[in-house]
Amino acid sequence: MNIKKLGRLVVPYLIWMCVLVGLPLIIMVVLTFLKSNALDLSTAEFSFDSWRLLFSDLTVRTALKNSVVNAGIATIICFIIGYPVAYIVANSNFSNKLIILVLTVIPMWSNSLLRNNAIANLLSERSIVNDVLNNIGLSFIWPIRGVFYDSGFSPAVVIGLVLTYLPFMILPIYTVLEKIDKSLLEASMDLGANKVKTFFRVTFPLSIKGVTTGIIMVFLPSFSGFAIPKILGSGNLVFIGTLIDSRFMNRNYNFGSLLSLVILLIIFGSMALIFKVDKEGETLI
Amino acid sequence: MSSKVLSLSRKIVLFFRRPKVEKTLKITISIIKWVFFVFIIFLLYLPIFIIAVQSFNNSQLMYDFTEFTFKWYGMIFQERALRQAIMNSLLIASLATLISTVLGTIFSIGIHSLTKKRRQKMVLLNQVPILNADIVTGISLMLVFKVFMYIFPDIFGFTTMLLAHIFFCLPYVILSILPKLSELDDNLYDAALDLYCKPATGILKVIIPAISSGIFTGMLMAFTMSIDDFVISYFNTGQGFDNVSIWIYASIGRQMSPAVYAYNTAFSFLMIALLIVISVRSSLKKRKNLIRFSQNKI
Repeated sequence: MNIKKLGRLVVPYLIWMCVLVGLPLIIMVVLTFLKSNALDLSTAEFSFDSWRLLFSDLTVRTALKNSVVNAGIATIICFIIGYPVAYIVANSNFSNKLIILVLTVIPMWSNSLLRNNAIANLLSERSIVNDVLNNIGLSFIWPIRGVFYDSGFSPAVVIGLVLTYLPFMILPIYTVLEKIDKSLLEASMDLGANKVKTFFRVTFPLSIKGVTTGIIMVFLPSFSGFAIPKILGSGNLVFIGTLIDSRFMNRNYNFGSLLSLVILLIIFGSMALIFKVDKEGETLI
Repeated sequence: MSSKVLSLSRKIVLFFRRPKVEKTLKITISIIKWVFFVFIIFLLYLPIFIIAVQSFNNSQLMYDFTEFTFKWYGMIFQERALRQAIMNSLLIASLATLISTVLGTIFSIGIHSLTKKRRQKMVLLNQVPILNADIVTGISLMLVFKVFMYIFPDIFGFTTMLLAHIFFCLPYVILSILPKLSELDDNLYDAALDLYCKPATGILKVIIPAISSGIFTGMLMAFTMSIDDFVISYFNTGQGFDNVSIWIYASIGRQMSPAVYAYNTAFSFLMIALLIVISVRSSLKKRKNLIRFSQNKI
């Protein structure tokens, strides 16, 4: 096979990835053991301060908790909404390609920050919805924006996350559902299972691959994002992303790098999970 | 007691088994299904709709629609900072799309021709930028570029942002091309070489036409990702080189010029129109080919 000789075309990509993925990893690990002003190595000194801070700082704990709570709730809602939507599309008679385009790609042509800003405006006191609700005497459920509970759960942020990342849940689930062999469902029905049982015994187990990818694709960006909590969280909700951002903006690269490594650890864990269920990465698009 | 419950439950089951009830139940479920579906699409498009309404609003206030106007559309290119940001966004997105599509095609042919084990490893490596959190990608790239700054002091700005965008667009291109490559019959390439094609000609004339739909999908994904990106651009910009997202982020909380709503709406509609034109043209071409095919009676 002549095509096997084309393998060397990969080499530049490998080098590119090593420089842009491997090298920063090393820089980050080194930075966590230093105390420096940004990347200035001349004044840097060896120190464990960042590591000590990671385990003692209360802000880190709050940020982690807020991120996990809000991202977790957003992921669960995305799954509850996204699975049925993907299922409906996969079993519909319409041109599926068109619907998938409408559901996933076209919303992304509107700037996501602008969309979240629009949501923030909608959820605020001065919005049309609030006007209507006031007029019918339901003013106590609005505005959603300012409401916070001790758990760090912010409904506004969750709404923003769900509306932004829902497409990432729908797409992988749809991809697997569409590939399921319909004769398997017929076989299940022939063997006496009803529709519900067929779904839970055949369809759902076959779609686990897409569900795993979808959950990870929603959870990771929700967990680490910093623009949405900043826009919708009224500025005082600390997320792990906003924390990293503020550390880097204050030229404290050491602690920022350490927090990034914490996120990376979670990401590598989820990559291992995806690799286990989906070796060729076919559910990622 | 238990027999009563049993008979009651049997009655309920029998009630739902009646043909008339079963039919209405089926209809209700399908209605609920479609209402739900439409509602979700409505929710997804609600923010976009609000932005569109706002772009026609004479007043700058979000909650007060005073008068229908087109004036913000004329303002898009009036404000210098916004115009510059839009130009930068479009420039970066088109360059990043072009470069990552070309490179992505070459790399995915390379990945496809590896042995299975190596291919899986490459695919895993390829997933790193997709799954990695934007903020970590952004910071990693920034750190590398800061190191490069010792050699090239002026790279922060256009160059770094372009490189960063190519970095996160490439994996999407590769992932959309790889499945098409695995559908391709490898013997075709052998045949081309047997007919005295050079490897480069063989790739251009045999492989690329066969995977063109994957390349197009990849291009679309790359452009979409690049134009919508905020976090990675935010960390890898410099010297006042803003794209639209950074401009928006800087003006959130302050009174934002509604011209950006106009730009956003106009851009979405242009992209949708472009997509419709492309898909209509490709379906026309298909039909034309089909007619020619039947006329020639091959």
